[in-house]
Amino acid sequence: MSTRDPGILQGTLDLMVLRTLETMGPQHGFGLAKRIQQISGCALDLNQGTLYPALLRLEQRGWIESRWGTSDANRKAKFYQLTRAGRKQIARESQDWERTVALMERFLRPAE
Amino acid sequence: MRIFWRRLIGLLRGNRLERELNEEIGIHLAMQEAEFRQRGMEPAAARAAALREFGGVAQAKEDYRDRRGVPWLESAARDLRYGLRGLRRTPGFTVAAVLSLALGIGANTAIFSLFHTLMLRLLPVEKPHELVSLYPTGGRFDGYVSYPLFQEIAKRGDLFTGVIARTPVSKTRFATRPGARGQFCQREFVSGNYFTVLGVAPALGRLFTEDDNRTPGGHPIAVLSYDLWHNRYGADPAILGAKILVDEQPFTVIGVAGAGFHGVQVERRAEVWVPAMMAGMKFTDPRTHWLWVVARRRPEVSPRQIQAALDVLMAQHLKAVYPSTYNAAIRQKALGQRLEVREGSVGLSVLREEFGRPLTVMMVAVGLVLLAACANVANLLLARGAARQKEVALRLSLGATRARLVRQALTESILLVVAGGALGVWLAAWGQRAVIQFLPESSGNPFGAALDTTVLLFTLAITALSAILFGVGPALRSTAVDPAAGLRAGSVGQGGSPLLRRVLVVAQVAFSVVLVGLAALFGHNLFALRSVDLGFRNQNVVAFTVDFPRGMRSEIRTPSRQLAEQLQTLPGVFSVSYGFPGPFLMGFAGASIRVPGSERTAHEPGYVDEAHIAPRYFETIGTPLVLGRELERNDMTGPRQVAVVNEAFVREFLPGEKHPDSRTFSFDDSKPEGGEPTFIVGVVRDVRHAGIQKPVKPTVYVAIDQGQNSGLPTMLVRTQAPPNALLAPIYRELRRLGPSVAIGDIRTLRQQVDDSIYEQRLLAALGAFFGTLALVLAAVGLYGVVAYGTARRTGEIGLRIALGAPRAQVVWMIMRDSLILVALGLALGLPAALAGARAVESVLFGIQPADPFTFAATAALLAAIGAAAAFLPARRASRLDPSQVLRNE
Repeated sequence: MSTRDPGILQGTLDLMVLRTLETMGPQHGFGLAKRIQQISGCALDLNQGTLYPALLRLEQRGWIESRWGTSDANRKAKFYQLTRAGRKQIARESQDWERTVALMERFLRPAE
Repeated sequence: MRIFWRRLIGLLRGNRLERELNEEIGIHLAMQEAEFRQRGMEPAAARAAALREFGGVAQAKEDYRDRRGVPWLESAARDLRYGLRGLRRTPGFTVAAVLSLALGIGANTAIFSLFHTLMLRLLPVEKPHELVSLYPTGGRFDGYVSYPLFQEIAKRGDLFTGVIARTPVSKTRFATRPGARGQFCQREFVSGNYFTVLGVAPALGRLFTEDDNRTPGGHPIAVLSYDLWHNRYGADPAILGAKILVDEQPFTVIGVAGAGFHGVQVERRAEVWVPAMMAGMKFTDPRTHWLWVVARRRPEVSPRQIQAALDVLMAQHLKAVYPSTYNAAIRQKALGQRLEVREGSVGLSVLREEFGRPLTVMMVAVGLVLLAACANVANLLLARGAARQKEVALRLSLGATRARLVRQALTESILLVVAGGALGVWLAAWGQRAVIQFLPESSGNPFGAALDTTVLLFTLAITALSAILFGVGPALRSTAVDPAAGLRAGSVGQGGSPLLRRVLVVAQVAFSVVLVGLAALFGHNLFALRSVDLGFRNQNVVAFTVDFPRGMRSEIRTPSRQLAEQLQTLPGVFSVSYGFPGPFLMGFAGASIRVPGSERTAHEPGYVDEAHIAPRYFETIGTPLVLGRELERNDMTGPRQVAVVNEAFVREFLPGEKHPDSRTFSFDDSKPEGGEPTFIVGVVRDVRHAGIQKPVKPTVYVAIDQGQNSGLPTMLVRTQAPPNALLAPIYRELRRLGPSVAIGDIRTLRQQVDDSIYEQRLLAALGAFFGTLALVLAAVGLYGVVAYGTARRTGEIGLRIALGAPRAQVVWMIMRDSLILVALGLALGLPAALAGARAVESVLFGIQPADPFTFAATAALLAAIGAAAAFLPARRASRLDPSQVLRNE
């Protein structure tokens, strides 16, 4: 539904969010946004707002779950956390990505 | 699917989620802001930067909402609210549209459920398509077969795998156990192989076999229907082996038939089955016709082959039964009988035999009503669309897609049709009750208890069809607006497609021509039937048969006379008499006679109808004496046999005789001059006792107490008081006569006459109702189109008047507009109405299908409606003040 950020491939953001949650554990929205920006460096110009529809989509699919909790700064916040189905999904999508990347490399490598 | 549900839940919990989202975004922004401030930014700058970093807050929220809910559902809900609001704002339009749809859908549902029961529903038996009904025609006993003939047919294993016989289902006295309160049940006498051949399984116990139907009077056993077992015994399995009373005789219950099986007669559901051998009929007499025969044909034998074989069988049978020594008149008539092979898969129906054809026509007619209703609603929607043109143009220019607007218009149509359909189903139930009022008691209740699934599916289908018929066209039409032009146009939109509306109105007129034509035909037909002189004045004569208990049946003369004397003393009673059979459609008896000195019986006996009557019979039913006197008390037991004859008798046997009351006839037909004489003492006016549409036969009326007669008499009470007030005293007198004397079939003679022409009355009533409905719809449609057309031409008309056109000319100009539409409708509708009239010829009496009066009246009525619909707009136009109109231009 959201096609307002053509800079990121559809589905790419999903995998980034899932992967970030896997490495960092439960995290709130702001933390996730910051982390994703850090990792991607300046390569990704993420509109933080697009994160929330993505989080909702992932939750609807049952890959992540959310609950209200307290942040380090003693602030109330909604925390997101990976589910078992989410872990499986990461495995599946990573494979897909690797395959895609391998395939694209063959096309992009200079002809021999 | 799971996602869909979560979204649906999201939709329902919309408010809470919205709050949470706001909170979450707020927290996010606050965190970001706090971080920026740590880096040393000013508070205001930090806040702005946080917002920038986040991107469009509103956009993110909207995206989020799209994800959260079910967008099409949400927009459908919005359309629904919008539609409801629109309909509420124009209550006149809504009521008109919903009512016309409800009447159309209701009429179709009611008539279709009757049509379905009588014509379409298959019997719940094994392989119903193999069943044929063997239906004798051409005799006096259409439909009925004697026991010996049944046995002959049953021997034909080369044609049939099984042949069953049964009596029509009849209402009988019943007690759930000996000593229990008396009730009634629907009983059917059946041959032993009945259930086996039909392939019906027992729900409990066992069903009949051939061995259960061998000896006359020797099988006091019964099978109950599943419904009876449930309703009156609470499905108690202890019913097996229990005793019940049917017609006051004890029967042992041996089983319960499978659920859903009610016998083979569609409009009457059998509740108790009894072996045919218990019917007390003359089983060996080939001239006692009392059974209906249904056979299961061999799959490899076609109905045509069966017909050929049965023609031969029937001819041989009749020759043996009516040898050449037999009365020639009867013999000739009898030999003309034929055994017709008819489709049996949809069961037997007395009602279908009489009513099938007209019912089919009615089905088409109500279809037309629905079409007319749809045309009407489409017309209303078009007019509404025209009025909304500006709104549509505005919305289109604001960026609404046309698809979205069409969807909105269709939502409105669906709302209308759903309301119309719901109301229609309710009206149908009400209409069924009204139809049943017209059916005589003997035709039972063909509708059954609940609405059938098939019928409901049918209703659903026609409802959906209506929505498409009236909804899609206007929806497309009214959204086809050029935004710029639409906004520029004046306050009166430019049309709502005048041509389409005119076509719709012509169609409506054509539909109503067909319906009004048929209604007028049925009305004229009923009038013709009603004006037939029946030979008796039927007001306020209560007639009922007295059902004496078995113990009293051998000698019913004394109790009958006692009852008549007691009833005579009741207040308000003019005279009491009785007879067998009764005066109108109460059966008949025949006799073969010789009339000494008559040419007619010199060579062979004559055949007459015979009735047994008590004193004051003709006074009671109001039949005038032409000559002589009626039977008196002394005649009942006197030594001389006396009789009254009717005018037809005189015409047939004693033509030109000035004093028939000085002549005699004889029931001894062995020699030309007859034997022991019966003296004619009077001549009465012809009574149409065989029915309004049947010619009168020569009839002799003899004293009821003379000679033997086994029939139960019909009591006749002529009263001054309203007949209903007489019921209680009649029942009281009956109880005084004996505890178990019962009344069968109490009706006034007027009711009996009405019942005998129920088809024609029903058709006339339905026709009048639907015809009026169609007329109203057509009038509304015409008025709408003419009024609208006139409004659009206001300027032109004003100009004409200003230039000196006479007002009459203006009126005519507008009337002509409407009359042309009517003329077109007539040109289309009249041929269709004529075709319909030909199809119902069988119920017409004394008038032709192409009855000139009927069709002239129809055309005149439609023209009058056309003129009336145009009158108001025309008058309004003719009173226009030209100066004012031209100033507005």
